[in-house]
Amino acid sequence: MHVLNVSHDFHVPRNKGSAHGSRALVSDSGHTVTRTYTSRLRQGHARVMAEDIQQKLEKYRTAPFDARFPNQNQTRNCWQNYLDYHRCQKALDAKGVDTAPCDWYKRVYNSLCPLSWIEKWDTQREDGTFPGKI
Amino acid sequence: MLGTFSRQLRNHPALIPLFIFIGGGCAMSLTYLARLALRNPDVCWDRKNNPEPWNKMKPTDQYKFYAVSMDYSKLKKEGPDF
Repeated sequence: MHVLNVSHDFHVPRNKGSAHGSRALVSDSGHTVTRTYTSRLRQGHARVMAEDIQQKLEKYRTAPFDARFPNQNQTRNCWQNYLDYHRCQKALDAKGVDTAPCDWYKRVYNSLCPLSWIEKWDTQREDGTFPGKI
Repeated sequence: MLGTFSRQLRNHPALIPLFIFIGGGCAMSLTYLARLALRNPDVCWDRKNNPEPWNKMKPTDQYKFYAVSMDYSKLKKEGPDF
């Protein structure tokens, strides 16, 4: 669990949530700063995660063991990582965060999947006929 | 049917071990099929509400009965969250 240093100008009141379901923080001057705090928290978390993933990507050799797919047939592993890469890109683009951490999934599916499948799925995505849910 | 069965068993008591083993074998195969149907993460019963059941597994969950050389307690989630 990564702990972020938060400025002590803000204190968290006991109210159980605003209209958006997030805690409204009130600074000493009294105005609400919800959006700044949560977006900074998200950016901090994304930065920490990106650093971890950078280190992992530098040491990458091959796809690691995945407990979800323990048997010889790794088809689903390939499929899931392909989907995860594109879902991760879509989700991080929507949040406005750097999508470099998603490269982990790209490395894994490039290790696992046959090239012909990757090319087929890429053309299907461009045509709009891709069967998976991204 | 049960009457015929118990009459046969009384007349030929040597058949009892046979029924035990056959019954045990049937029970084992049926429970294995039930385990596959209900617990296997690859099996998807409800496409709308639970479309990818294998994603509900934690990195340390072990489905296989016996893992030869894999220490499941040391596994962690590899990819980033999104």
